[in-house]
Amino acid sequence: MASPVADLSYRDVEAGGGPGSPGWLVLARMGWRSAFSKRAFWVLTVVGGWYYLILLAILYFIEQANLADETSRLASEFFGRIVWRDQFLHGFAFSHLVWLSIALLLGAGAIANDNRANALLVYLSKPCRKVDYLFGKWLGVFVPLCVAMGLPMLVFFAYCVLNFRERGFFDDDPLLLGRVLVLVPMAAAFHTSIVIGISSLFNQGRLAGAAYAGLYFISGFFSQLMLIIFLRATATPLEQMGSGQAQTFFYLSVDGLLTGLAKVLLATDGTPPFGIPARTPQIAAPDPWMALGGVVLVAAVAVFVAWRRIRAVEVVK
Amino acid sequence: MIEFVGASRWYGQVIGVNDVTVTMGPGVTALLGQNGAGKSTLMRLVTGQLRPTTGTVRVFGMDPFANPDVYRRLGFCPDIDAFPEHLDGREFVRRMARLSGFADPEARRRTEEALVLVGMADRADRPLKGYSKGMRQRIKLAQAVVHDPDLLLLDEPLNGLDPVGRRQFMDVLARLAQAGKAIVVSSHVLFEVEQMTRSILLLHRGRVLASGDVSEVRAFIDRHPHRVRVETPEPARLASHAMALGYVLLCRIDPSGRSLEVETREPDRFYGELPRLALDEGIPILSFESPDNNMEAVYSYLVGGRDL
Amino acid sequence: MDVAEIQGLTVRYGRFTALESFTAVVPGGCVGLLGPNGAGKSTFIRTLLGFVQPAAGRGTVLGHEVGRDDLAIRRAVGYMPEQDCHIPGLSAVQYVALAGELGGLSKAQAVRRAHEVLEYCGLGEARYRMVETYSTGMKQRIKLAQALVHGPRLLLLDEPTNGLDPIGREEMLQLVRSISHEKNVNVLVSSHLLPDIERTCDEAIVLFQGRLRAQGRIDDLKRVEGAPYEIELREASGAFVRCAAEEGLQVLGAEHAVYRLRGDGAPEDTVARAFRAARSAGVQVRRAVPAVRSLEDAFLEAISG
Repeated sequence: MASPVADLSYRDVEAGGGPGSPGWLVLARMGWRSAFSKRAFWVLTVVGGWYYLILLAILYFIEQANLADETSRLASEFFGRIVWRDQFLHGFAFSHLVWLSIALLLGAGAIANDNRANALLVYLSKPCRKVDYLFGKWLGVFVPLCVAMGLPMLVFFAYCVLNFRERGFFDDDPLLLGRVLVLVPMAAAFHTSIVIGISSLFNQGRLAGAAYAGLYFISGFFSQLMLIIFLRATATPLEQMGSGQAQTFFYLSVDGLLTGLAKVLLATDGTPPFGIPARTPQIAAPDPWMALGGVVLVAAVAVFVAWRRIRAVEVVK
Repeated sequence: MIEFVGASRWYGQVIGVNDVTVTMGPGVTALLGQNGAGKSTLMRLVTGQLRPTTGTVRVFGMDPFANPDVYRRLGFCPDIDAFPEHLDGREFVRRMARLSGFADPEARRRTEEALVLVGMADRADRPLKGYSKGMRQRIKLAQAVVHDPDLLLLDEPLNGLDPVGRRQFMDVLARLAQAGKAIVVSSHVLFEVEQMTRSILLLHRGRVLASGDVSEVRAFIDRHPHRVRVETPEPARLASHAMALGYVLLCRIDPSGRSLEVETREPDRFYGELPRLALDEGIPILSFESPDNNMEAVYSYLVGGRDL
Repeated sequence: MDVAEIQGLTVRYGRFTALESFTAVVPGGCVGLLGPNGAGKSTFIRTLLGFVQPAAGRGTVLGHEVGRDDLAIRRAVGYMPEQDCHIPGLSAVQYVALAGELGGLSKAQAVRRAHEVLEYCGLGEARYRMVETYSTGMKQRIKLAQALVHGPRLLLLDEPTNGLDPIGREEMLQLVRSISHEKNVNVLVSSHLLPDIERTCDEAIVLFQGRLRAQGRIDDLKRVEGAPYEIELREASGAFVRCAAEEGLQVLGAEHAVYRLRGDGAPEDTVARAFRAARSAGVQVRRAVPAVRSLEDAFLEAISG
């Protein structure tokens, strides 16, 4: 006969309850939950769409002004200057700092904090392989970053579809949505890989964050410096820096590579922002294979670094 | 050597030790207590790193706070594990000897002596950062004894040592104690303490809960009657005789039917009576002992009886 | 049932050999893993979990091949590391539930078991607190909870009482005993504190310099040749020694008021003779037990032999 008093202490795992999720999914879900519950993440996502917001405000005014006859000519002139796909380029490229901030917010501590707390001992002593761990952590940063980059773009895209079809929104490039949908994950994957790779090298999230921010700004500074030195050395006039060898230097930094990638994927060299006529030359898109190769190579190196660094126990030789 | 009179120490709102009045002399004294009971504060008061908020602390009859005359005769082995990691063990101990005011040749000689004492003489040339926990503990002890102090304070010195190392360490302490030094050791591991000394100072929530010899302390705890476990094939017969004695409070027969636990308030009389029961009544006794005459029992009576 | 069988296991870190053709059969129940620092205890546990690759040899854990079925082994085994470790930024329940999910439980089941296991490990009150705010004792308990949450058949405990105060140690040892003796989970405990092993384990495996040095039931390891008795008097007495000899007891040694005696009859006969000797010497016997060595003595002898 069964005892009338239940033993409420430890018991074996009862059968059933359904199969568990794979380790990488468990870890990724943890990353998503923590990212989406951060208010800073959503604030930065809105801030990341600042270019679209301002552009939409301008477009709205021009639309309103268009009703009066004498301004309609001005309005058509303005819309004539707007290259729709370039607006996505600007919206993306003007928010590089925001994307960096989000990557740091989500990814700097991803592995570094685990290193400090010896959490790898917990993860890897469970049926969770190194590849599960790394992929899970990577996805945990990658997906929220995609959301942050993609959400403003898609909102702007939807608005344009609803309002500016007759202004040639679709004629400009029928494949635009597809291009945007390739750009966002590639850029997110680039940031995610680097920040995860750097995070794995440190024991403190703050240090890892500082290291990535340092890499970002120093690479940006040197690429500008080399561009100027090159222009001086070859006595190239400023108006011609947009093409030829000089442009290569422009893309030799974290944000430069991403801008280059965006230009390649959107198939554009760019036009002045906000449709305002400007004299500064637009820098021509880089060689597609160079840009893609550079992005993939840097990301791969970063992921490889993380792969080598992740181990359950430090082995003292 | 050490004298506390009504000494208390607060850290803001937090109390470290509260109204401690105690003296400690030569030999090994064990400092016991839960985490946060005030053991480290007590040690810091003796080493003069802290000054009591109220009351007085005297070491060798002097106020230890910022007093180099006391420091010269006092060795301290803290529980925290922080070293200049790039130095090797020998160099670290030598520098500590130099700090104690010895000229270089003298410091070298003393360093070698201290390293031999802790059994590190052959391994002291590697940088400290590669040391195992046990080696670090030994080096910590070496720097504490390098100036041949009269008083030695060791905060959790056995933590992380394996049984071999622990045995050697205790032998070293026993030698030092025999040489007339006063040694105060704090430890969480009571069986280790029991192997070193019978003299304890038990702190609880900053106050002295008990001090003196373990057996004496035990004898004063009359809240818990004394227990004796007797192994016998006839526990029931022994129980009926024991209950008839009048001063036995409780007899509990083990479910296995092979032993009996007796609780009494007058253990001395019971021990006197036991041979009579065995010899004259013919009750076979295989073995008997008191399970609560050791440090662990005393500790759990004193500390465990209160809310944890 | 044996929980692990190891044959000729060799593990090297660079030029340092941590385990050298180590062969052992780990039985079920509660087993202690003993050895001085650097004897290879931790390496052995790490190899079982697949953290380090052995240079030679093979082994099975609960029927799974070491090095080949690592995931199956980790599903069937719970590991409580020596180091302080936790997953940052989570409350105790979230942490243990996550560990359960990683251990192969479904999400709903993991949360439920996290609560049960935390309750069992004595953290019921504190389970919604952040793990970072835990004290040393609580951190040890939660390490045990995360090792137990996915219902392992074998628990590997590396120094489970490290850094605990006496009350905390007692509670941890009771937990380990309860898991192994009442809940039918096999346990392998590695510890420097041999009385802890003595109190929780039935068997011991002694490792020394990467090899198996001794193995057996703890009671057997502690037994002393010739079954002598230890008699403690209230105070030391020369008369007692004389009277004991007259009673036909062989006095093997004396330390303070503790005498080691040997009689040639049954145990109760030896005790009775000791009583008689004490009566004629006019002293009081405080303790009479069969002499055993402490596990520590047995251990020191095993590794020096």
